[in-house]
Amino acid sequence: MFVWNLIVVQGMGCYFASDHCSTRMTDQDQASSVARKRPKSVTTSDDEERLSKKLRLSQNPEDSKPSLKSKPIVASYAPAQRQSHPPIQTSRSVYSYERLNQIEEGSYGVVFRAKDKQTGEVVALKKLKLDEEKHGFPITALREINSLMTCRHENVVRIREVVVGDTLTQVFIVMDFIEHDLKTLLSLMPNPFLQSEIKTLTLQLLRAVNHCHSHWILHRDLKTSNLLMNNRGTIKVADFGLARRFGDPVGVGGMTQLVVTLWYRAPEILLGAETYSTPIDIWSVGCIFGELLLHEPVFQAKGELEMIGLIFKLLGPPTVEDWPDFEDLPLTRTLNIPPPHPPTLRQKFPYLTASGIDLLSSMLTYDPELRTSAEQALHHPYFTESPLPKHPDLFPSFPSLAAGEKRRKAFESPSAPQRAKGQTEYDYV
Amino acid sequence: MEPDVAPLATLAQIQETPSARDGIPSELEEDLRAYGAKLIQQAGVLLKQKQVAMSTAQVLFQRFWYTSSMEKYGIAEIGMGALYLASKLEECPLRMRDVINVYDVLIQRSRQSTSSRDFKYEPMSYFSQDYYDMKDILIIAEMQLLKRLGFDVHVTLPYGTLINYMRVLNLLEDTKACQMAWGYLNDALQTPVYAIYPIPVIVCASILLVIRHLKLEIPSSQEDSPSWWDLFDAPFEDVWLVANLVVRLYRPRSQSDQNRVMQLLTKKDVRRWLDENA
Repeated sequence: MFVWNLIVVQGMGCYFASDHCSTRMTDQDQASSVARKRPKSVTTSDDEERLSKKLRLSQNPEDSKPSLKSKPIVASYAPAQRQSHPPIQTSRSVYSYERLNQIEEGSYGVVFRAKDKQTGEVVALKKLKLDEEKHGFPITALREINSLMTCRHENVVRIREVVVGDTLTQVFIVMDFIEHDLKTLLSLMPNPFLQSEIKTLTLQLLRAVNHCHSHWILHRDLKTSNLLMNNRGTIKVADFGLARRFGDPVGVGGMTQLVVTLWYRAPEILLGAETYSTPIDIWSVGCIFGELLLHEPVFQAKGELEMIGLIFKLLGPPTVEDWPDFEDLPLTRTLNIPPPHPPTLRQKFPYLTASGIDLLSSMLTYDPELRTSAEQALHHPYFTESPLPKHPDLFPSFPSLAAGEKRRKAFESPSAPQRAKGQTEYDYV
Repeated sequence: MEPDVAPLATLAQIQETPSARDGIPSELEEDLRAYGAKLIQQAGVLLKQKQVAMSTAQVLFQRFWYTSSMEKYGIAEIGMGALYLASKLEECPLRMRDVINVYDVLIQRSRQSTSSRDFKYEPMSYFSQDYYDMKDILIIAEMQLLKRLGFDVHVTLPYGTLINYMRVLNLLEDTKACQMAWGYLNDALQTPVYAIYPIPVIVCASILLVIRHLKLEIPSSQEDSPSWWDLFDAPFEDVWLVANLVVRLYRPRSQSDQNRVMQLLTKKDVRRWLDENA
């Protein structure tokens, strides 16, 4: 039995930024920049418009030439064009927030729940670990902040700002506070998610991943503990601590192989591939999809070798036919490859429909070239067959561990009246 | 096309920059911005850094002076910090020691520019106090850039847009025109335009300059049909102003004007200048 707990935390319902993103690399694909949509401004005020009229230079295009002696800078001003751009502004102080409670502590830093003193909104503050940095501001933290700012989306946790403390080593990322992370939620939920709910969650996850990939960002650490979920059935991808930009071709000078939590790590990274790209995130999505179905992680290995073994067991060992590059990977020769056998996906997921199995195996495909993309997966028939994805509003809500809420105890209803001592048995009054 | 979200200065910031509030004349600020940006470009060339990193650094450098005053931060330190930071942002990080050494050369060269002797560079020793001082300055400058820009270090570069526009205008085959427009875009990094105008306006300005320079014929200025800049969503008066700001870089300057900026690389220099010229 769930205790249906209706909690509404302020400051969470802001999804307006979803179409408010940019990229620098896709510029090339879009020759016609005519007639772009402009979201309404947050910054330009009437005052500025008035100023702009005053400042506008009245130059006639026909009879003037660029002259050497023009006056020093004043601005002509196109308010309409400027509206979509945020202003240049300095970081606020962390003292604009009131600390509430600590949510978690990881290797990257501590996360607090805090309240904006001005607006009263509840947010999450993530303190970056900056001590003992030999190379200035850590590039990983830069990537995290930049990725979050680039990938604004309904299913990516929203970064509000970055604030600083008194010294140069105190930097905090301010994000929307979200009640749950999927890992804790899964472990506390008495019953697994329904098929319809799993479809909704997987779709949301795929949308977020598709968005990141189309903005040239690899997440590189997708797992259930990095997926946050609010009480209105929406998940948000969080923790871009390992994220980075990629290009086509992928990375100059190669990229590190120390990415992705082991259980969600794609086979090409396990086998030491020097270049990898978006398919590694899709593999992780496949693992998460499987975890939602099984109610426990699909591959629970203690080491990399065991991990490879588990993958081979579930999918059958790879052959040169289904993964031509397999034999050329650095670590392949060091492996003892078991005799071939067919995949055991069906046995592991006995209650999944045929198209569900098809989606899962398309995400857990050995060859990264053949693995499905987020965009393809979004159109998979699994999502349009019965039961249809459940509307997020119909999701149950749960008490939030992060906000320090506990499950309400079962009612202690008063018991039936008892006869007072000393009263006679025949007292009918 | 998704909207470009690179931050731009507000009108209030453009009208009165923090440096202007501290009494620095606008012409001097303009010169210092240009010289600081030039130093970034020179340092990048010496370090064989990619142009994207140099461009990003110069845009961050230009933005910085809309929240911060040249009386409180020097152009050399901020330029150095911007180059170091931008190299990380563009995924081609530099070694701190290399950046410091190169800036040390450039600073010494500027300082000696007024003397009649030939330039003589004295390298700092490996473990010298000077090196550690510079290192602290670099770390603080990088942090100040981040802090004073609110950690919004997203930069949109103009090059991709230029290629698209040239293709639309059927100028992509004209190598000379492309090269020249590209050059104007790079020169524009020495002006504040990347911090005050969206990319389409700046790209149109560079194309406008090329068209006039090479006397190319392009359909425009017909009474009833829209001009080519309308196609790219750039208001002519903005394009015109950016073009003017770029052309201003090439105006003849007196020797004393040229020497002045080279002696004002740090905030101390600027403060001294302010005291002397108060």
